[in-house]
Amino acid sequence: MTGPSCRQALTPFFLAALLITGAQLAATAAHREFYLTQLILCAYYACVVLGLTFLVGYAGQISLAHGAFFAIGGYATAVLTTTPLRNSTEPWVAWLERAHWLARRPGLYGGEILTVSPWAAFLAGLLVACLAAVLIGLPALRLRGHYLAMATLGFGLIVYRLLLGSAFAGAADGITGVPPLRLGGWLEISGRASVRVRNYYFAWGFALLTLALLRNLLVSRIGLALRAIHDNESAAQAMGVPIGRVKLQAFVLSAAIAAAAGSLLTHTNGGLGPSEASAMKSVRYVALVAAGGMASLWGALAVSSILNFFSLRGWFGTLDHAVFGALLIAIVAFAPGGFGFIWRGVGLQRRLFRPRKKRLDDDPRNP
Amino acid sequence: MKRVLLALVACVLWGATGKAAEPPIKIGAIFAVTGPASFLGAPEAKTAQMLTDQLNAGGGLLGCPVQLILKDSSGSPEKAVSFAKQLIEEERVLAIIGPSTSGETLLIKPICEEAGMLLLSCAAAESIVNPVARFVFKTPQKDSQAAIWIFKTMRDKGITRIGVLSDNSGFGKAGKEQLETLAPEHAIEIVANEIYDKDATDLTDILTKVKGQNVQAIVNWSIVPAQSIVAKNMRQLGFNVPLFQSHGFGNIRYVQQAGRAAEGILFPAGRLLVVHELPDDHPQKNVLMAYKKDYESRYGEEVSTFGGHAYDAMMLVAEAVRRAQSTDRDKVRDALENLTGCVGTAGIFNFSATDHNGLGLDAFEMITVQDGQFRLYRP
Repeated sequence: MTGPSCRQALTPFFLAALLITGAQLAATAAHREFYLTQLILCAYYACVVLGLTFLVGYAGQISLAHGAFFAIGGYATAVLTTTPLRNSTEPWVAWLERAHWLARRPGLYGGEILTVSPWAAFLAGLLVACLAAVLIGLPALRLRGHYLAMATLGFGLIVYRLLLGSAFAGAADGITGVPPLRLGGWLEISGRASVRVRNYYFAWGFALLTLALLRNLLVSRIGLALRAIHDNESAAQAMGVPIGRVKLQAFVLSAAIAAAAGSLLTHTNGGLGPSEASAMKSVRYVALVAAGGMASLWGALAVSSILNFFSLRGWFGTLDHAVFGALLIAIVAFAPGGFGFIWRGVGLQRRLFRPRKKRLDDDPRNP
Repeated sequence: MKRVLLALVACVLWGATGKAAEPPIKIGAIFAVTGPASFLGAPEAKTAQMLTDQLNAGGGLLGCPVQLILKDSSGSPEKAVSFAKQLIEEERVLAIIGPSTSGETLLIKPICEEAGMLLLSCAAAESIVNPVARFVFKTPQKDSQAAIWIFKTMRDKGITRIGVLSDNSGFGKAGKEQLETLAPEHAIEIVANEIYDKDATDLTDILTKVKGQNVQAIVNWSIVPAQSIVAKNMRQLGFNVPLFQSHGFGNIRYVQQAGRAAEGILFPAGRLLVVHELPDDHPQKNVLMAYKKDYESRYGEEVSTFGGHAYDAMMLVAEAVRRAQSTDRDKVRDALENLTGCVGTAGIFNFSATDHNGLGLDAFEMITVQDGQFRLYRP
């Protein structure tokens, strides 16, 4: 990238980093650090929405299973790190332990329990989510139209039902007692107030990293291929874009991001329940993508963080589900561009120094 | 003169505001007011609000007004966690009542225990109070006690071979486990054990299968609306064995939904549903009558046992504060743990360091349906 456009791409990251740091400093100074608790959760949910924006806004494929992928990551972590491998002398347990895939920790009621290590569980969650995405995506993405939406809706419902019906997943109660994920000596992903500020920076760092990754992908060959597919599939195919493969890659990446966020959030909360996989959650993610402007990564990050923050603090009271449902309807009916118009309004620099484009996503340098 | 008057007025105003500014006693509540568990959370939230208003109308607690901070978790554990942390750190409430479901309670149990926050859960699972956590209590009767009541009644009727149906909710799962654990010691054989979806609209297939197993009675452990559907489908199939339900049947609406098919259903429940049949000298009579009358006149709907769990939680917190003569959380906790003979809607609470539920087997009665009404079951 050349100088000016590189600077332009980095400006929002600087602003975001400033905002994130500023929010923490202000919260700490005002003795209101507890706001960070919800902001941490918001960052992880925002990652899911970012991954989905990549899929919906740029590949033009709607997924109604992102709640399920999130739950797959979360449940892989929760099940594997809480199921004790009791005094197992099986050779495979010994082999896993030699390979450092297992972890011992003191049990709640004395003794020592041996489980899969949080890191191995994290990777297992990613793997399962990717596999599931490939299995649904392979047939569904060969078809045109909204077949992926239908296939993923079905998949999401199946995952939800399976979780509700499986004793190992705690059925309707979900799983509790998930240990922290340790990242070196100074950081553990957990809900403890003593590590909250570090977790806050980790969570938002993770969100910004996700955004940067997706943004760079969008200006790469894959990104260009995706946009071509989004605009006209036949034309893209005629130009030699391997449509099926590119769409599948985007779908799998998006699912993997959701699973990673699910795993991290499960460590933060110390557990999770089947409601994470419910269809309402998946619809909520799609609503947030739409509200963020369909094809705007920064818009998705901003809108999802703000709305999830209010939701997690209970501002919407008993109207919580209604707010997100109404939002989706209102956006589709009245403002197909989402809250993006506000965001574009904020982009003063672009407005003043460049001729305005009709849509943000028409400009390949600025997704 | 003018100055003196002004000073006087200022003094009066100062005094008035000084009194009004008495810091309120904050009580947090997390209930599933909306979502799949709203049949629990909605009456619980209404009851908690009603009791708060009643306490304040009576001059509050220890002269301080009571402030209820109600959060709707819609049954989602991640929201329950977020709300519990808010109530602990930001609102610094004296105690949290709720959540409505066992899954949410089990997730916030370690959070409350670590923070030293008093939690009075309105959910059923035994694991909430077993193992005992210092700060965690619960008000509903135990599932195991309901199962024991069902088995005892069966023994009296000479029933030994039964079929068990349960739904796939947390409630159904916990009940099924208790039935399976306790059946052998009551010499009862479970010959059919079926799980169905909690949103099922027809259970004829499962019941046909169970009918072929030659059972003497059916136990159904579920939540709405399957409880009514089981009764209806059994009648349609001409499956004439006694039908036992769990204490989740404690809402007259399920009887109305099942119509004639509900006649003769047996289930254990607190005495709230049959309060009009209790003798006047029964220790719970006054509490139950008052709650039923107040709730029904205020909200225009029939009282259910679930709202009663929130009543008991609020009442216990208030009683513990009065006994402790303090709003210091540790002192209130100690007072709560030592409460005995405290009359609630679910029964008479006798807490101890090893029992944070405090209810005995006598908290239940066997109830039957007769002419579309709940009646005490008399063999």
